[in-house]
Amino acid sequence: MKTYRSPSSLLFSFVIYLVMVLTLALCLIPFLYMLALSISSPKAIIQNEVFLIPKGLNLQSYIQIFSYPNFFNAYGNTFIYTLGGTAISLTLMILFAYPLSKTRLKGVKVVMRLVIFSMFFSGGLIPNYLLVSSLGLTNTRLAMLIPFAINQFNLILLINFFKSIPMDLEEAAIIDGLDYKGILIRIILPLSTAALATVGLYTAVFFWNDWFHGLIYLKSSQFPVMLFLRNIVTGTSMVGDAAGSGDKSTIAISIKSAVIITSTLPIIILYPFLQRFFVKGVMIGAVKG
Amino acid sequence: MKQEKPLRRRSYFVRYWQLYAMMVLPLLYFLVFKYVPMLGNVLAFRRYRPGMGPFGTEWVGLTYFSRFWSDPAFWRAFRNTLILSILNLVVNFPIPILFAILLNEVHLLAFKKVVQTVSYMPRFISTVVVIAILGELLSPSSGIINQLRQQLFGKEALYFMNEARFFRIIYILVDTWQYTGWTAIIYLAAITAIPAELYEAATIDGASRTQQIFYVTIPSIMPTIMVMLIISVGRLLSLGFEKVLLLYTPDNSMVSDIIDTLVYRTGLANQNYSYATAIGLFSGIIGVILVSSSNALSKRLTSEGIY
Repeated sequence: MKTYRSPSSLLFSFVIYLVMVLTLALCLIPFLYMLALSISSPKAIIQNEVFLIPKGLNLQSYIQIFSYPNFFNAYGNTFIYTLGGTAISLTLMILFAYPLSKTRLKGVKVVMRLVIFSMFFSGGLIPNYLLVSSLGLTNTRLAMLIPFAINQFNLILLINFFKSIPMDLEEAAIIDGLDYKGILIRIILPLSTAALATVGLYTAVFFWNDWFHGLIYLKSSQFPVMLFLRNIVTGTSMVGDAAGSGDKSTIAISIKSAVIITSTLPIIILYPFLQRFFVKGVMIGAVKG
Repeated sequence: MKQEKPLRRRSYFVRYWQLYAMMVLPLLYFLVFKYVPMLGNVLAFRRYRPGMGPFGTEWVGLTYFSRFWSDPAFWRAFRNTLILSILNLVVNFPIPILFAILLNEVHLLAFKKVVQTVSYMPRFISTVVVIAILGELLSPSSGIINQLRQQLFGKEALYFMNEARFFRIIYILVDTWQYTGWTAIIYLAAITAIPAELYEAATIDGASRTQQIFYVTIPSIMPTIMVMLIISVGRLLSLGFEKVLLLYTPDNSMVSDIIDTLVYRTGLANQNYSYATAIGLFSGIIGVILVSSSNALSKRLTSEGIY
């Protein structure tokens, strides 16, 4: 259709594609740089020869971090927190969201007001901390799982999704003799896989990335991997002490990079498959958030 | 009718008991973990004694409030919070709009999809990882930025992460990197909803692509922009606490100490629980006022509120 393009239109296209290529580069280069540092030889790193392309392939840093008990332990802890936290969170939110999606049910309006108010005003850091510690959860793994089970944004996302399921299905099921428990399990949940995947992913990413609550509630053997990484970065915790003589600092760099890559890998691997759910979620949530 | 009511109410609950039963556990959880801490804010008016419960022991009135009111550390944190929030809003509010508009002009669909997918990935990367990578890139000894500065311009290495003058720009650019693509989704959706006839009419009238942006795209998404602006103003004071905490060093503390980090330090590091709660409550109340007044404004201007 468009055969003639004016010079200004060409310039316009050029600028746009330039911006987009720059965006791609800015998003990807940090990870490629870390990957290259983590698998290059110490010698090449010292001589500043490594940028985006690894040099002198060397997997030593990965072998080393996995033989480092604290890292291995922290990595395992993160898996526990992510799986456990997501399971608890989804269960509680489904049980809450389904009754709350019935706007006509008595009491629902009051509870919704409580939910929405709590999004704008909350107990601050200290009251939350004191609650968790007076429940005796500090220094237990439960401190990472329990206090964050219900996120109001995700809850509202689920409620909105449940509301969008046609009522006729439910009415038919009631005539067929199904009770509400049966309706939830056999009709609502199978129809909500997209919403459940979205909320499940947001929740899993939250637990995977959480480090601050580990810092204030846990002892070091229970630390998640993100807190382990943060402690390396701040110098609170040391790695690479077994690295040997001369080029200690360089080894530390590739070990740090290896920790960064390993702790982000699950998200990077799963991301291309899951990203459509992420976007779907922001659109459902944006309706009324 | 009225005599039947007790019976009807009973049958109502009998009929829906399963729905109520489902709610019991989550509601209880919700009250304990959201509303008990909210009540826990009374600690701001009470003295805390270790082992005597999270609500403190005796009333002390506004003692802690008047204490932070005359505390220069509080005012420094307050000023830092305000400056950082406003700068962040000024820089990072327009960028996603611009990005969405430009991305919409990409006509190679496959390429557009790749850019979009990659651009919101940073949102899912842990802030710890982001700051750790930044630390490597900006490192004075081995970081690529300093190497380029030395090799190309012969300048001395700078310890970017530790110098107060770089803190704000680093915070804001990290925010740009993390959230541009993600926030742009909302604007892209608004742009996609613009009727194609508007563009066709503009083309027939001889409008160039840049003119189409200024006379069709931007006016069409103006309502979305306004709502987003109001939401951002409402959330003005809620900076990325974790990010600031990760970027915080004693050397940049004169600009990086914000209200949240002050609460964290006085409360959890120095265990002045009541004092820290008072500061937290004060900024929480300002937050509520900001949100509700911006929402009221939004309802008056665009007849669209966020709640």
